[in-house]
Amino acid sequence: MNELGFWERLGDWLTDSATWSGDGGLLQLTLDHIWVSVLATAVAVAIAAPPALWLAHRRRGRFAATALANIGRAVPSFGIIVIAAVVFIRAGGSARFWPLVIALVALAIPPIFTNAYTAVTEVDRATVEAALGMGHTEREVLRHVELPLATPLILEGVRLAFIQVIATATLGAVVSSGGGLGRPIVDGFATYRSGGDVKLVGGALMVALLTIVADRAFAGAERLFVPDGVRRLFPDVGEPLDVSTV
Amino acid sequence: MRSSIRLRRTVTAVAAIGLLAVSCSSDDTSDEPTSGESPEASETDGEVTPVDGPAITVGSFNFPESVILAEIYAQALEANGYTVERNLNLGARELIFPELENDGIDLLPEYVGSALGVGFGGAPTGDLDETLAALTAEFEAIGASLGAPAPGEDKNVFVVTQAFADDNGVADIADLAGVDEVRFAGPPECEGRETCLGGLQDVYGLSNLAFQSVQEASTRIADLENGNIDMTLLFSTQPVIAQKGFVALEDSLGMIPVENIVPVLSAEATEAYGADLIALLDSISASITTEALIDLNTRVEIDVEDPADVAAAFLAENA
Amino acid sequence: MSVLAQSTGTPFFRWDWVTSHTDDIWAATVEHLQLTGLAVGSGLVVAIGLAVVSRRWRPLYGPLTAASGLLYTIPSLAAFALLVPLFGFTRITATIALASYTLLILLRNTVAGLDAVPAEVREAAVGMGYTPVRQFFEVELPLALPVIVAGVRIATVTVVGLVTVTALIGMGGLGAFILNGIRRSIAFPTEIIVGTVASVLLAAILDLILLGVERSLTPWAARR
Repeated sequence: MNELGFWERLGDWLTDSATWSGDGGLLQLTLDHIWVSVLATAVAVAIAAPPALWLAHRRRGRFAATALANIGRAVPSFGIIVIAAVVFIRAGGSARFWPLVIALVALAIPPIFTNAYTAVTEVDRATVEAALGMGHTEREVLRHVELPLATPLILEGVRLAFIQVIATATLGAVVSSGGGLGRPIVDGFATYRSGGDVKLVGGALMVALLTIVADRAFAGAERLFVPDGVRRLFPDVGEPLDVSTV
Repeated sequence: MRSSIRLRRTVTAVAAIGLLAVSCSSDDTSDEPTSGESPEASETDGEVTPVDGPAITVGSFNFPESVILAEIYAQALEANGYTVERNLNLGARELIFPELENDGIDLLPEYVGSALGVGFGGAPTGDLDETLAALTAEFEAIGASLGAPAPGEDKNVFVVTQAFADDNGVADIADLAGVDEVRFAGPPECEGRETCLGGLQDVYGLSNLAFQSVQEASTRIADLENGNIDMTLLFSTQPVIAQKGFVALEDSLGMIPVENIVPVLSAEATEAYGADLIALLDSISASITTEALIDLNTRVEIDVEDPADVAAAFLAENA
Repeated sequence: MSVLAQSTGTPFFRWDWVTSHTDDIWAATVEHLQLTGLAVGSGLVVAIGLAVVSRRWRPLYGPLTAASGLLYTIPSLAAFALLVPLFGFTRITATIALASYTLLILLRNTVAGLDAVPAEVREAAVGMGYTPVRQFFEVELPLALPVIVAGVRIATVTVVGLVTVTALIGMGGLGAFILNGIRRSIAFPTEIIVGTVASVLLAAILDLILLGVERSLTPWAARR
């Protein structure tokens, strides 16, 4: 049915301005995708970081931290997204935005919590005790000693969560008309033999590019956020993700 | 792996139906033990003589009605001694037709209009004979053959809520022209099709449609019910239309093609079994009415019964 | 009966559906296990190969981990999408995509495990006249095994969750329940929850089994 070869059609699709513009265009979809991912990650940080930092400071809840990490890895994000969508639908809402955000928040919490917790517990005990001995309050120690020293590892956790959220948000396109850059992929699967193959591959390339760019951009931002002195202690900051620590 | 389990379950289901021969409720059949029975059980009651020849692989699309229809044909063939394999719940037509062509699938319950329009890029109409003739020619070209069409059909319908129909005075697709904007959700493949979004725009000249691609039926229906969209595409045999009190819009311009059920046989199966098999399929198809389809769908979609069990019950009732 | 249930609305969870579909759930679990095994198994073979290469030519280690880190960041749905044009809607597509997620974890752990083999042990093997191949398989790999198995644990648990997504390319496993649950006219949460919970349980069981393997490979650590 299509005279042109696949690559030519892909090139045509990617260079067609209609592909990029408008409500369902790739630019809008990319912005939607970034917005839902940033929002979910930010909410997850707000929920997970404070208790993680405080518990780690008090050296409590180690079991909870490990359990959360394991559960977080084991829970299938696809299932969580579908369940969240169905709960919203049954309650009379739309599956398009909030269920996706909530599911993504739930998925982002474990890596953020665990990394923040581990980061604080790994701060040298002698440093903390020295600060306490100098008369600082618990709160001051957490804020001015432990937190700065833990920042690199905390941010690594946020980065890992952010990248996972961007990747997982694509699945939102299965349950609604949302899902950012998942849209061309899901639509492409459905119309695969009637020309949807270029949409499928084009969308996949876009979302792969987005995750890679987001990862590099976040790594760059980490370098800006982490004080010079602390950065020297953590030469790995901004390196490719170390998934095995999380 | 999966098909062998399905096969075992259906064999036992058929056996259970034969042995019980009771008009039992679904719960009774599903409680039947499905393991530990030997396959021979099905042969003790029917005295079926096995038919020699290659196994017939029955395929289906990935929506419940197609699976039920495939099960009905498959179990009828098994009851008559044919060797049957199942390859159900496959994707869209674009993926299945190549399989039909290279004998990966031997029997597929099809829909006259969609098979012609989507499968072969033809132009189905509202006329059954005309559409069927064109479709038969297309299938013969690849060596496949068709059974007689069933009286029942399952066509695309554009549905709105009763409230939307009342507020905007809409009963026919053409009436939509008077509405400011119609938020319309359909499956992804709707966008390019002349029997779907393309037809609404070209045949009815509607320029006020805001299309959203929503893949799964449950979310589209919920969106309609919850007021997130104004119109969606459903199938006329979906029990949810009556259940939710949706309004199926009339198609005064005859854009929506006829969609009677018709079984398609691969070249291999046609060659091996020919007229005998077709006669058997036709005897089954004759009892598949639109009402029967709605009933079958109700049992699977609303009552959450198994397609295989529902198919077995249907055959028992219509034997 | 059923009409009554219908008019009062479907309950969120129907236990009777679970009990009447135990053989379906079992079949899907087996399929899920197969897909997981294929992915982690092939990922492990490739990772060990890459580990050997990057130990021989050390400068390659950085680029190889960077590349596997890149694969790890690509969304599974996108990976399937990119592989379908090459391999179709098949297990090959599913296996390659899922195995690519395990590479980063498995490569790092394999290299770390091999690096931890003491130089004296290696020298002793050389002194005993072991060929390099025999030395690798009979000395280095067994000693690195506990660290590798620790990586296999993480990879397995991750892959079990990701296998659910293969339902979107017609594979299924337990993910088929999740997809079927919304594929009906009215969503059927029971099926979605069964798919999700069974996947979590499967991951937990495999995690425990592999933990047992890890412990049995390092009896000195357990006895502590």
